[in-house]
This record gives sequence, structure tokens and C-alpha cells, in this order.
Amino acid sequence: MKRTTLAAIALAAAAGLGLTGCAGAAGPAEKPAAEGKTTLSVSVWNYEGTPEFKALFDAYEAANPNVDIEPVDILADDYPQKVTTMLAGGDTTDVLTMKNVIDYSRYASNGQLQEINSVVDKLDKENLAGLDAFDLQGKYFAAPYRQDFWLLYYNKDLFKAAGLEEPNNITWDEYAELAKKMTGTAADGKKVYGTYQHTWRSLVQAVAAAQNDGDLIGGDYSFFKDQYSMTLDLQKGGTLMDFGTAKSQKTSYRTMFESGQTAMMPMGSWYISSFAAALKDGKTNVNWGFAQLPQKSKGGDITTFGSPTAFAVNKNAQHSDEAKKFIEWAAGVEGAKAIAKIGVVPALQTDDITEEYFKLKGLPADELSKEAFAPDKTALEMPVSDKSAATDKILTQEHELIMAGERSIDDGIAEMGKRVKDEVLK
Amino acid sequence: MTTETRLRAPAVGPDPKRRNTLKRGDSLHRGNRKQARRNTLIGWTFILPNFLGFLAFTLIPVLAAFALAFMEWTSFSAPKWVGLQNFERMLGSDSFWIALRNTVIYAVGHVPLTLVLALGLAMLLNRKLKGIGFFRVAIFFPYITSLVAVAVVWNMLFSPTDGPINQFLQFVGVANPPGWTSSSDWAMPAVIITSVWRDMGYYMILYLAGLQAIPTELYEAAEVDGASPWQRFWNVTVPSLRPTTFFVVVMLTVSSFKVFDLIVVMTNGGPGRATTVLSQLIYQEGIGEGKFGYSSAVSLVLFLIVLTVTVLQFKIQQRRER
Amino acid sequence: MTNLTEDLKAEAMPGGGNDISARNEFRRRSPREQKARTVNVIVYAVLVVLVAALMVPFIWMVSSSLKENNQVFTVPIQWIPEEFVWSNYSDIWTRIPMMGYLQNSLYLSVIITVLQVLTGSLAAYGFSKVRFPGRDVLFLCYIGTIAVPWQAYMVPQYIMMQQLGLTNSFNALILLQAFGAFGVFLMRQYYMTIPDELCEAARIDGLSEYGIWARVILPLSKPALASLALLTFVNTWNDYMGPFIYLTSNRLWTVQLGLRSFVGQFDAEFAMIMTGSVISVVPILIIFLVGQRYFIQGIATSGMKG
Repeated sequence: MKRTTLAAIALAAAAGLGLTGCAGAAGPAEKPAAEGKTTLSVSVWNYEGTPEFKALFDAYEAANPNVDIEPVDILADDYPQKVTTMLAGGDTTDVLTMKNVIDYSRYASNGQLQEINSVVDKLDKENLAGLDAFDLQGKYFAAPYRQDFWLLYYNKDLFKAAGLEEPNNITWDEYAELAKKMTGTAADGKKVYGTYQHTWRSLVQAVAAAQNDGDLIGGDYSFFKDQYSMTLDLQKGGTLMDFGTAKSQKTSYRTMFESGQTAMMPMGSWYISSFAAALKDGKTNVNWGFAQLPQKSKGGDITTFGSPTAFAVNKNAQHSDEAKKFIEWAAGVEGAKAIAKIGVVPALQTDDITEEYFKLKGLPADELSKEAFAPDKTALEMPVSDKSAATDKILTQEHELIMAGERSIDDGIAEMGKRVKDEVLK
Repeated sequence: MTTETRLRAPAVGPDPKRRNTLKRGDSLHRGNRKQARRNTLIGWTFILPNFLGFLAFTLIPVLAAFALAFMEWTSFSAPKWVGLQNFERMLGSDSFWIALRNTVIYAVGHVPLTLVLALGLAMLLNRKLKGIGFFRVAIFFPYITSLVAVAVVWNMLFSPTDGPINQFLQFVGVANPPGWTSSSDWAMPAVIITSVWRDMGYYMILYLAGLQAIPTELYEAAEVDGASPWQRFWNVTVPSLRPTTFFVVVMLTVSSFKVFDLIVVMTNGGPGRATTVLSQLIYQEGIGEGKFGYSSAVSLVLFLIVLTVTVLQFKIQQRRER
Repeated sequence: MTNLTEDLKAEAMPGGGNDISARNEFRRRSPREQKARTVNVIVYAVLVVLVAALMVPFIWMVSSSLKENNQVFTVPIQWIPEEFVWSNYSDIWTRIPMMGYLQNSLYLSVIITVLQVLTGSLAAYGFSKVRFPGRDVLFLCYIGTIAVPWQAYMVPQYIMMQQLGLTNSFNALILLQAFGAFGVFLMRQYYMTIPDELCEAARIDGLSEYGIWARVILPLSKPALASLALLTFVNTWNDYMGPFIYLTSNRLWTVQLGLRSFVGQFDAEFAMIMTGSVISVVPILIIFLVGQRYFIQGIATSGMKG
């Protein structure tokens, strides 16, 4: 008897809980749109941890009192997967943020996005970095508001202690030379590496492609060779942390630089604001600066690489016109200023905006850092094509094998070419 | 032997073996039919609450996914029938064969090791001891520890140059200890060891429950018959646990063939493609690159392999019961 | 060595240990007892070593939860934080709505577990103690679906749910996960170990099939119910992909989603993630300590006698 009663209670409890339905407890319920206001929904990743979104939305709402922006908050890790699933289900979110150009090409070529040439025509095309990436045979389906590029971060104190000059506009050979000289032991007995190159393949491959005009989805990768030789040479000499260790220990580039374990570090411009924040909170005391990404040879243009982030209009958007207005604003001067204020690099690059950017607290004030902030050319990290995703996978796998010493450089490069030709280009 | 017979005493009532004997008796035939209809009704009322949910939210989507295996679908537009094209591409793809091989190697290593260790642990922990609750929880800990922590610590243990495992191997005289996760040849064994370590507590729970169902009388009888502990283990424990073992083996096989999270966090399929498995391929090709037809085709193959293994085990189990 | 393992096995035998020998073999009682004590000491020693080996990553987790974010992944591993950042444990409640996330996780886990155990044990009775045509085929169907990776049918399932208007709600997840094949399979296998004589005796006593399930089988299957409940709870609690796909509004998020919100586009706050992971283990521990009491021997026997 007792047991049946128990089961009955459990059942009743379950049913009761089930009926009360959405007992969603975390945070306030969504506020209903106020009278006469348009609610524009925008898909974003990690809303709390990515302040640029809030900065943009607040500024836009202030400028357009009749619009309420509702962020659709998605985790950064699997953002594209979730967006794909939502869209498959016929989701009606108005504005979709394109985290990278690979996803952009997939959504655009499958007809999931609205063409926005009318918006792009009104933009300052000259100064809008990364816009070309979104050009699909003359049609634009998104406009960039943010464009990161790669720089060389360095630890000024370590340079001073070694009596070396700051790495102003150096070549990769000079970089390797410096790195070797800087490797040693710090005062507290910890090892100091001359440089830290994170495990991403872009650190070798995108650099090589950008500075040699190489095609990353072309199937011929001989232009990787010099960059691989240099990197492996540094790794062999203990100037660079061993790839296997860095990868398996999930080594954080922030830890490496912020704890003074490395003298130099090529990294993206997104790190500027994170580092400044860590400095402000007293979580690091490294005396930092940034310089231009090292070049292939002396005296030419400064060529770096990066990838733009853009807004696009969903095919099923409920407020297409409002969405287009928002995109135009975000890619324009006001949008750029709104995010530059908080240390995010806008796609629109003018002297005005750079000045706004360097007002940020904690930024190095030296001339070199300012100079480094204006590279001559920013190549695209990965070309926009429906072949990009599959190629990216192959290049990553073969990159690991070369870096782990399982394949020689020549064999690895040959294998990349062969696999890309067989599996992707065929 | 005595114990075996006692356990398998002929059952009465709506039991499979019993039904077979009943069928032979002609006089019972009509009542039998009526009984069968009644049984069907009763059986279904038991199954229905679960089956409705299962049908609607699992079975139908699964069948839809299988149908997609014969189509081309990007998830943005209507699917297009392409016949066997996805399968042709699959059979001609290196990545598929490598992933299949890795998955099978993983399963072959993971299933027996976990099975034996889970049973051993369950036997060890199936006793009244002070603080046994604490030990049971502790064995389950790996399963609830964050995967990132598991990956980092095990990768450290496996570190080729200064990891404790290789230092120990060198100490006992292995001149060239393996490179583990940074070597193509040894990454899979390293993953298998870690996954066995992680999963054994999970399956121990199942065995622990299974051990409770063995009537104490069987052991008493065996002891009266003068069976040694070892004989008792083989003649009482192992046969009595057969249904549990069937469950554990099937679940282990299935989860081995579907392994995903641990590999993604620990090696992400690398170095190169040394630890890439089928479910990663399904994920990457499907939701990663929008080739849902192809990824469905791979899942269909995965499903057929696992189903074959399961049906074989099911048949073996049924034969043993007879 | 062989002797030792044999002894261990003898000890491990439920009911095969002391009580019987004490009852049957009066003369050898005292040496037997002594031996049992030695065995216990050995068992403890084995367990302690084992537990130490199993806890290492967890210790790393706890240690990392007491560090600054940029001190978590160091080479070599730093086991004891340079400076203990206890504030992580107070900050996390304000950095993210942790309490709400815990409530959501608990809500989902409890409902899904209750439904899974209830419907699973019902269906399992149908699959193991009632004989009817098509039973085994249907059962294989159940097992078969377990073999299909969720990644493969996630999108079709989502589209279906969207059309039913169920996405972005707890109901979607409850419906998806409460009727899985796992519980049916587990319970069926356990019922197979319960002798059919018991059911038959109850039938002769005039109990209906439902009565047998409720009064005979259910009480006998406490260990299996406990393990099913425990495993379902843990799996639901730790599930990430399901809630990620189906719960969009932040206020519906579970702990696992909340913790992932510390992962940014280019880096992650791992100290916070580890802090949250340690906190999220606590409810599981409570459930486990409660549940493991049912893994005690003799239930089946007492049922058989009564």
C-alpha cells in the first residue's frame, strides 16, 4: 500500500511540476515590447562576456528610441551549430551575427540571408576593412562592423633587461634571432620562452598565405615551407614551447604572456582590450607593448591577416527594414565609435576612430604601438568559399602532424595538397 | 551444478519457455489464444506510456534521419533525392575508413577492459564495510569530474618527456616509452585508458544493482555443495548476472561506437586523424558543414554495425537462457 | 597472490561471507573471523589507493577553482595555488545567476528522472514478464535507437519540436529525454534476474499484472531503480548539448550552459568554470549518498521468503 502511495505521489508531483511549465528561474523574464516600439532580435554569442554587443545595442537604442534590441544569447563555443539548427527550424531572429566568414559563405550561398547591396552602397567602402570578404559575385549579404588583425605583443621589461631594442618592424628572421636571445630563466627561476606561438594553424599558415599571396584553398601549399622551418627550428631549440605540451595541456596564451613567461607573442588585436582589463584589475603587471606582425622581408608594406565579424539579415526576419538600418549604423562611424570606446577594433578605420580607440585606459602610449595599429594590408584569414570548412579541417589535421614531428615539412605540405585536391576540390 | 538447476527452475505463467511447452498441448489451444490476446493487451498497457513518448520524440526523428541518408540536404532548403550517392562518397573517402577503423579499435579496447574492471569493482564494493558509501561515491567520481580536468590531468600523466607514466616506464627499463597523446600510434591507447578509467564507475553502479538480485540461497546451496569461492563465482555469480552483463555489454558497445565528448576534449581527433571517430565525422559533416545527407549516411552505417553486434549478443543471451 | 584474490572474491560474494560460515561452522569461527579482518584491511588498502588514483583530476579541479583565471593552465601543473582566491566561490553567484541555473537543472533532472524511472519500469515489466507477439522486435527497436548518435537526428528532431511549438521550453527537453530507451532496457534486464516463480505465486494469490508490478516487482527492484534514478539524474544534470540546442532564453539555462558562458570567443575564464563545476558536483553527491544505501544485499531474498 505504502509503495503505491509513494508512486502516486511521485507521479502527481511530476505532473504538477510539468504543468506549471516554465519555471525558468534564472534572471528576469523577457520584457514585453513597449507600445509603439519595434523589437529587433539579434543573435549574439556570450552576451555577458562580449561587451561589444551591449555597447552597440545601448548606443543604437539611445539614437533610435523607437527600437528595442533583444539579444538572442548563444554560447560562444558552439555558436554556428546552434544558429544552423535554429535556422533549420525556421527561426525568425532578425539580425544574425556572422562569427566568421566560413559560416557566412554557407548561409549566404544557401539562400538563408537577404541581399543588402542597398545598405553596402551607403557605407564608407574605402575605409571599411574586410568588406571585400563579403562580396559574393557582386552581391553582399552582410556588412562587417569589427575587424581584428594580428600583431606582435612583447614584454618591454624583458627586452630592457636583455638590452635589446624593441621589435619595431622586424622580419621573421630577426624575430627568430630575438626569440633565441630572449630565452632563458627569469629571476624567480621560471623558464622564460623567447616567444609563444599558440597552437592554431593560422600562426603558420595564414601568416604564410598573407605575406606570400598564397591561396589557402588552392591545393598547393609550398609557400608554407619557410614559416614551418622557422617555427620548428624555434621549437627544437626550446625557444618555443613544445607543440604537444602546449596542445595537450591546453596552454593558455594569456597565462604565457600575463605571467611573463614569454618575451614575445604574435596574437590578434582582440587581446588588446582583454590585456588592458587584466592590467586594470591587477591580475598582471607585465609592462607591455605591441608592434607590427613580423614580415617576410624588410622595407615593404606591413601585411597582416585577420577576420571580420559582420551582421546579416535573416531570410525569415520579421523586421527586415529595421534590421538593415541597424546594420548600416553598426558599420558606420557611430557604430565604430561605440565599440572603439571599449577597446574593440572596428572594421571602419579612420584617424578619428583610432584616436578614440587609444583613449582606452591601460593601452601602451608609445609611438610603436600606435603605428602597429595601422597595418597597410590585412589579408583574410581564410577565403570565403563553400570549400573553406572542409579545407580548414584538413589543414588543421596536417598542421598537427608537422608540428608534432610526425611528418616532415615536405611530406606534410605534399599531403595537405593531395588531400585538399582529393577530398575538397574534386 | 545444483545451483544452476535451482536458478533455472521451470517457471510457470506467461514465460517464454513455458509458452512453448503449452503450445504442444492441443486441448489448451483455444484458451491459449485468448490468453495471448489478453497478454498482448496487458503487455501494451505497460509499454504504452513510455512507447508514446519514445515513438514521437525519438523513433520518428531517427527514421527521418535515416531517410536523409538518401538525400542531399543543407538544412536551409528542401531535401533532394540522390539515391546512393552519399554512400558512394562515403566508401571512397579516406576519412570515413580511418574513423571507422579508429572507432572499432576504441570499442575493442574499451568494452572488455571496462566490463572486467566494473565487475571487479562491484564485487569489491558489494559488502558491508564502514565507510563503503564513501568509496562507492569515490569510484563514481571520474564520471562526474569535469572533462576538461580529466583531459588536462591525464595528458599531464601521459606527457612523453616528464610525465609520471613514462618516468615509471623508464624506471622499470623501457628504453623508449611511447609518446602517448602526441604520437599517432599511441594516442588511441591513451584515450582508451582514460575512458576506461572514467567509465568503470558508471558501469560498476549497474553491476552493483545486478549483484543485489542474486538470491543468497544460491550461495548457501553452493557452499553446502562444497564449491570453492572461484567455483561459486563462475557457477553462481556469472550466470546470475547474465542479464546485467548483457545490458552492460550492449550499452558499452553502443557508447563506444558513439564516443564523442572525451575524444573532442582530450585529443580532438588528433594528432592528425589518429583518434578521429565516426561520431565526430557525423558532427563535423552534418551540423558543422551542413552536409546532413552524408552525415546521416554515416550514422546509418554506424547504426547497422551496432545493431548487428547487439542482435548477435541478444541471440547468444537467449540461447543461454534456454 | 592467488590465495589472496580468492579470499577477496569469497568476501565479495553477497551472503557468501561471514554469516553463513558463522552459522554452519561453529568450530572454525575464530580463525575465520581473524581472516575476515585481514581481508578487510586489505580491501581498505586497495580502496584507498584506488580512490587516490581516481580523485587526482578532481583535486586539479578544486585547486583550479581557487586560482586566478590566468593561472589555471600552467606548464608544469601547479597543484597548490600561489594565492588562494576564495572569492571565486562568492563571485560566481553574482557573475552569473548561478542559483537560478541550479534551480533549472534540478527541476529538469528531477522531472526527467521521475518520468524515466516510472515509465521505464512499467515498460520493462511488459518487455520481461508478459509474453506477446512482436515483443522482442519492438525491444530491439528500442535498443537500436540507442545506437544512433544524437548528432545525427538532432536537426530533424529540432524541426519537429519547432513545429509543435515546443522549442525554448523545458517541456521540449522533458519530452525528449524522459522516454528514452535507456531506462526500459536497464529495468528489463534487472527484471529478468527476478525469478518468475515470484510472479506466479502472486498470480495464484489473485494479484493482477499491475498489482504484481507494484507490489512484488517494484519493491524487489529497489537497487535497479536506485541505479537508474542515479544515472538518469547525473546524465540529465551534466547534459550540455540538449539544453544548448533547446533552451535559448537565458532564464531557462541550466548549470552546464551557465558555466559555458565563461567561454569567450578567444579565451575562457577557467577558474570560474572550475568553481562552478565543483559547486555543481554537490547535488550529485547528495543524491548518490542517498541512493547508494539501496545497494545492500538481501533484498531479493527477503522478498522471496515473504
